[in-house]
Amino acid sequence: MSLPYFPGCTLKVDAKHFEDSAMKVMEILDEPLQEMKDWICCGTVFSMTSDDLMLQLASIRNLLRAEEQDIKELIVLCSMCYNTLKRAEKFITEDEENLRKVNDVMYKEDIEFHGLVEVKHLLSILKERITFNKIEEKTQKPLKDFKLGAYYGCLLLRPEDMAIDTFEDPDIIENLLKSTGADTIKFPYRLECCGAYQTVNNKDVTISRTYEIINSARKSGCEALVTSCPLCAFNLDQRQKQTAEAYLDFKKMPIFYFTELLSIALGSGWDKSWEKLHYVDPEPILKEKNLI
Amino acid sequence: MKRIGVFVCHCGVNIKETVDVEKVTVELKKHPDITHIENYMFMCSDPGQNLLKNAIKEKKLDGVVVAACSPTLHESTFRNAVEEAGLNQYQCEIANIREQCSWVHKEMKDATHKAKVIIQTAVAKLKLNESLSAISAPVTRRALVVGGGIAGIQAAIDIADAGYEVVMVEKKPSLGGHMIQLSETFPTLDCSQCILTPKMVQVSKDENVKLHVNSEVEAVEGYIGNFKVKIKQKAQLVNPDLCNLCDDCSDICPVLVPDEHEEGLAWRKSIFIPFPQAIPATFTIDEDSCLGLDPIACGKCKDVCEAEAINYDAKTQIIEEEVGAIIIATGYDLYPEENLAEYGYGKYPDVITSLQFERILSATGPTNGEVRRPSDGKVPKEVAFIHCCGSRDPDRHLSYCSKICCMYSSKHAKLYKHKVPDGQPYNFYIDIRSGGKQYDEFVQQAMEEEELLMIRGKVARIYKENDKMIIHGVDTLSGKGVQLEADMVVLAMGIIPSAGTDEFAQKLKLNTGEDGFMVEAHPKLRPVESIQAGYFLAGTAQGPKDIPETVSQASGAASKALALLSSDEIFHSPIIATVDTDLCSGCGICVATCPYDARELNEAEGVVEVNDILCEGCGACISACPSNACQQKNFTNRQLSEMIKIVAAN
Amino acid sequence: MEKFEPKILCLLCKWCTYSGADLAGTSRMKYPPNGIVVKTLCSSRVDAQHVMEAFQQGIDGVFIGGCHPGDCHYQTGNYKTRRRVILLKKTMEQMGINPERLTLEWISASEGKRFARKIKEFTSKIKDLGPLPEYDFTESTENK
Repeated sequence: MSLPYFPGCTLKVDAKHFEDSAMKVMEILDEPLQEMKDWICCGTVFSMTSDDLMLQLASIRNLLRAEEQDIKELIVLCSMCYNTLKRAEKFITEDEENLRKVNDVMYKEDIEFHGLVEVKHLLSILKERITFNKIEEKTQKPLKDFKLGAYYGCLLLRPEDMAIDTFEDPDIIENLLKSTGADTIKFPYRLECCGAYQTVNNKDVTISRTYEIINSARKSGCEALVTSCPLCAFNLDQRQKQTAEAYLDFKKMPIFYFTELLSIALGSGWDKSWEKLHYVDPEPILKEKNLI
Repeated sequence: MKRIGVFVCHCGVNIKETVDVEKVTVELKKHPDITHIENYMFMCSDPGQNLLKNAIKEKKLDGVVVAACSPTLHESTFRNAVEEAGLNQYQCEIANIREQCSWVHKEMKDATHKAKVIIQTAVAKLKLNESLSAISAPVTRRALVVGGGIAGIQAAIDIADAGYEVVMVEKKPSLGGHMIQLSETFPTLDCSQCILTPKMVQVSKDENVKLHVNSEVEAVEGYIGNFKVKIKQKAQLVNPDLCNLCDDCSDICPVLVPDEHEEGLAWRKSIFIPFPQAIPATFTIDEDSCLGLDPIACGKCKDVCEAEAINYDAKTQIIEEEVGAIIIATGYDLYPEENLAEYGYGKYPDVITSLQFERILSATGPTNGEVRRPSDGKVPKEVAFIHCCGSRDPDRHLSYCSKICCMYSSKHAKLYKHKVPDGQPYNFYIDIRSGGKQYDEFVQQAMEEEELLMIRGKVARIYKENDKMIIHGVDTLSGKGVQLEADMVVLAMGIIPSAGTDEFAQKLKLNTGEDGFMVEAHPKLRPVESIQAGYFLAGTAQGPKDIPETVSQASGAASKALALLSSDEIFHSPIIATVDTDLCSGCGICVATCPYDARELNEAEGVVEVNDILCEGCGACISACPSNACQQKNFTNRQLSEMIKIVAAN
Repeated sequence: MEKFEPKILCLLCKWCTYSGADLAGTSRMKYPPNGIVVKTLCSSRVDAQHVMEAFQQGIDGVFIGGCHPGDCHYQTGNYKTRRRVILLKKTMEQMGINPERLTLEWISASEGKRFARKIKEFTSKIKDLGPLPEYDFTESTENK
């Protein structure tokens, strides 16, 4: 059976390697992902609107499409999409009045919306449905002696009621990586803000965050960072260019999506095309660890 | 027919604001069952009560309805007034038109109408009220004190001093509670042990006090003045009368477990004395960790005990005691540290709780009073004290203030400076709350003279880097983020009711509030009594408080209990169930429904009889009776039916 | 047409729900004025006959309030009430009275907010249900 999933814009462009690797991984785990039909922007860009309802509409339209396609559980990879869609799910399930309002506004839709779709992050699927034990069993190329730091950022964990794990001290990504044989290090800045959209008009803020976060990881002994958020990945990876220019003592560090490493561990390998989507070349460390 | 008078209270503006009392008076004047009606500003005041008494005499009233606040507040006031005017107190009914009418409705029209209906239901009931007198029962002149901390100790001493017997129950092996763990107490910095141990000795020496440690209250039956208490005492594996404290046993005991008295900062043996000054002074075996209960595994302590005090075959005992009053002094625990994952308690040994720091400061503690951090025993040169850990955070933790953490964290910083003069304490606080005699002076002096660094703001995260704890917080006065290094962090944890308070309260049918603390009968005027008659509250079982306040409340609870114990008899409400023997068929259904065994089937007569003293008047038997033979005094089926008719007619 | 204002009888146990109602008052919470409170010592004092009588007299809804399970001042009274209410609802159905016109709520002395909310909900439910239909004896026998 295939699992319906929502890609979102970034996974089709800058984070193509995130999508590719996730597809490969789930194929190997016998639960292939199936892209849902007719999806649109997850709605995150509407967060500038002051109207609470308008803010939710794009997300809700996606959920409505999913409901139309008889999807009960919609899987999301991008942390930003996850957070936006999950908030919309909560918005309509927590208060019937909201659901009524939504249906009033979207009266031109063919079907009535009931808010039956549950939004899930791929990490939760790996933990709950696949289980980390199975990943351990299926691991062909253990990430041995690879010291990894899981970087959560904010979107998987906040607000508290939609966190995919204990929000002040999560370990879901660490446990996933451990099941592939990697060493994980809980470094102090793993839950700090990456600077998010400040990267657009306030680059300096992001640069200093990147410097702090990567330094903290390095000091704790991490060799690379693992994330599930394209925005974090952008700030931590692409911004290393400017960070290195701003801080002379800065040393670069490769940033991975968790699915890229899973793909290697589970035997579906490293795709050469992924390399160019990284700013900091990840191949040297992968070679050093005999992973490619 | 009864001549009924109605008195409508304005309660200043509290009732008058939404209930048109004049209109109520005028309109009800025509009511056929009401002989006299008037309204007054404050019925509960002296002139108000006189008004009532005069009207009873002048208008020859034989029943009175006071339409005022909730009966929980002034029912007894008005019933007394009615008695003084020569009527039976049960000829007075309260119509609650404040809490359940004027305060909860907006429209004057609605509230006025509702007040009228409420008054009429009270009149309908009163019409059929009988004159009753209280049922009397003798008082068992002994008290039970649950909890052996400072609150329980003080209450026990006060009651014993007045010449009454006290049964004291303590869950742990020794008296002392949390206070015995403290180093020095604010604001005078007198040593906690030095002031508490004499009181503990006094309790143990007092012939009026019967002490059961390692014990818990299992069940309470009966009612005010006549409680039957079942106390479960853990097996006394060491006979306290024989133990001579030679300490040979713990030397040889092979089992090490974390020491509760030292808050886990040290180890103790499975056979142990909680601390040298423990009362009762005896070693105890911790059943959970002892290997000797299986004689094949171990038995070393018994072999070396020359006093022959150890008996592995001792069994749990149920002790039964009869008492007249019960004082609840079950104390507090710290809010669970694991709920604050961001502070890393448990992960980093140098993040400790306030009680652990008390032990570190204490001369009898694990470091003999030297400030050394747990991880490597180094003297910490910088220590961060974080106030309000889990307190005042309604979204995620406790909504209330722990009341003592401002004071003791300032004290901690001060004592730390005394012991490490070149050290630097940092206090992160939300607000400084130092209300109390000499309290603010204490904090100010600590800040000014001891060079504390007070940072107003919360801490977001704590982690370890190399040898140092890194504290991420905010200084809300400068509006800037703060990141500082410290060698040790002390968390001033919030306060919650002690473990097991919930089940205990349920067992005793006591009320607890949303926060889990015991609820007092009135927040201002009856702060040491429980709503349940015969139960009194002392100390932190009722809410967070410091030592002086705890002691005052304990003495207050003791004096309330003494007032009860010093009376010859106790009066029991006459609102009880009755049986009409003409109607009773002797089916016995009601016997099974009674939770108090107050009913008995008289086989010879074929009818059920009620034990008036045991009956609590719940009325379960009445609605179960298929023959309408059971009735409740002054709340008969007919009265209820009349009241329903009034509601239906309006 | 005049707006329908239902008559509601609230039978509240003295220890929990009545005190909860008092707390709602002390906290100045607002709720609709339709319910008239009759205080019982325990919810188990409420006899089935009183509830039926209330409907017979034309009361549109009956609200019974007791302590939470396990919290009954008289140990087990609320359990008895719970059983009785289940049976009563069945009887009501047989007699052609919508069983939703009777409700049993657990409200403790510290739950003023809950009391106000439950009264609001019940009042609006009874408003939606409309006035209690007059019990027409002939019609119900013909239907048989």
